[in-house]
Amino acid sequence: MEPQKLSGFPSPAAEIHEKLDLTKLLVRHNASTFFFRIDGVSIVDAGLDDGDIIIVDRAVEPYDGCKAVCFIDGEYTVKRVKITPRGVFLVPCNERNSKARPVPVGPGDDYLVWGVVSWIVKKA
Amino acid sequence: MFALADCNNFFASCERVFRPDLNGRPVIVLSNNDGCAVARSNEAKALGIKMGAPYFKIRDIVEKNGVAVFSSNFALYGDMSHRVQEVLGSFVPAVEQYSIDEAFLDLRGLQVDDYDALAKEISGRCRKLTAIPVSVGIAPTKTLAKIASKLCKQYPKLNGGCYMHRKQDIEKVLRRFPVSDVWGIGRQSVKKLAAMNISTAWDYTRLNETAVRKQFALPGYRTWMELQGTPCIEFEDMIEPRQSICVSRSFAREITESGTLSEQVANFAESAVQKLRSQQSLALEMAVFAFTNRFKQNAPQAFNSRLVVFPDATDEHRIIVSAAVRAARELFCSGYAYKKAGVVFTKLMQAEDYVPSIFADTEAEQKDARLSKSIDAINNTFGRGSILFGVQGDGHIKMAREHQSPHYTTLWSDIPKASVK
Repeated sequence: MEPQKLSGFPSPAAEIHEKLDLTKLLVRHNASTFFFRIDGVSIVDAGLDDGDIIIVDRAVEPYDGCKAVCFIDGEYTVKRVKITPRGVFLVPCNERNSKARPVPVGPGDDYLVWGVVSWIVKKA
Repeated sequence: MFALADCNNFFASCERVFRPDLNGRPVIVLSNNDGCAVARSNEAKALGIKMGAPYFKIRDIVEKNGVAVFSSNFALYGDMSHRVQEVLGSFVPAVEQYSIDEAFLDLRGLQVDDYDALAKEISGRCRKLTAIPVSVGIAPTKTLAKIASKLCKQYPKLNGGCYMHRKQDIEKVLRRFPVSDVWGIGRQSVKKLAAMNISTAWDYTRLNETAVRKQFALPGYRTWMELQGTPCIEFEDMIEPRQSICVSRSFAREITESGTLSEQVANFAESAVQKLRSQQSLALEMAVFAFTNRFKQNAPQAFNSRLVVFPDATDEHRIIVSAAVRAARELFCSGYAYKKAGVVFTKLMQAEDYVPSIFADTEAEQKDARLSKSIDAINNTFGRGSILFGVQGDGHIKMAREHQSPHYTTLWSDIPKASVK
């Protein structure tokens, strides 16, 4: 004799396998989104700490006050973009506690601003 | 209208994405095992470095001119290629990926006011979003679109986009365009054409129809029509499955032991199976081969191969890898130093056409199918090479890659670093 199979009420969610996908939230444009890791923080209170992952989207136009990954003197540095009537400048993320001078962005400086930071992923 | 988007010096441009300091500097990318130059930036071309030049022959030029040298980084190139494809796909519904760095766009039926502006916009958008420079040619046929994209490379003033449609413009361009550079004109045809004293694309269009059909058959006739503005080459947004699949490599260090050779062959077979499965084909026949370095004249020379015929067409990892390893053990001869080996599926069929033979052991087949599916699932979830057959060793195809850049976009441990100052 076959052992009787136990069966309960069929799950009403059996066909539903949805999950929250962090990538959908953090990556708006697949083609233009890149990840960087923060390594070396010399100014405090910039909102960025060693080891943070920053998500950089090249599709985003730099806007006044945005953080951007900039290629300065052969290395990547996160700066704040300042758009003024006198031109565009890259300033330290926290102006108050840094002596670094603003870097002007000229028309030929294609690679100075590599991409705009869209998210910061931080370990709690 | 058709567009052809061609990434400029693609591999070299990929190396520059995260290295803006290399803009304006000569860059070359070497083939597997750092053998020869397979991509050159414009500055490297200007130094006289030829396509395919063996690295050891150009070392002097490289050192004297501070040429930046990279080993191939296919993880990076594949990812950047996808990104460019995605940007192209945002402009048109139908994109035909022609190679890792080229794609055709079907513009028929689209409402476009200014094709020249569109070409420049596509190029600009690719550059902005991916940092890859792309040349976009738009013309009435695919063959002419390819020529238009080449013009962008010659004339930086075109800003990466060129629309070529007026009869007199096309004539002007074709009169100066070498027939040997025309898409679809093969080496054999070039020889024939040289004998007929035909050197430019324009000369070719001036041949009469019957002569073209007779001398160059249908493909040559299609090219002849396309050069005159009549589309003849179909737009294919479905990639035709390949008729053969080959995975082969030269070894950084020559192999003199049977075990090492089988291990490498097992890895070649496994990556060939992945290609086979990704195009939903089955293998009917497989050749495994290994040969010695023919440039070493004093060393004993061998070219060994074994043909494996599968009783039932298959795409199962276990069956193919074990057959490849058996063949490798059989063909190996001691006393020889093997420089290169490979696995080729010489006969393929589409999986949907499969009919099991009456001798097929369906139960065993189902077991293998489940195993293969599990292997694919594990590799898809955890990355290629997450699960291996014992015969694959550590799963690495041993290659010289002394100058490889980081896997900036595909490995968390390799993402670029930024400081905060």
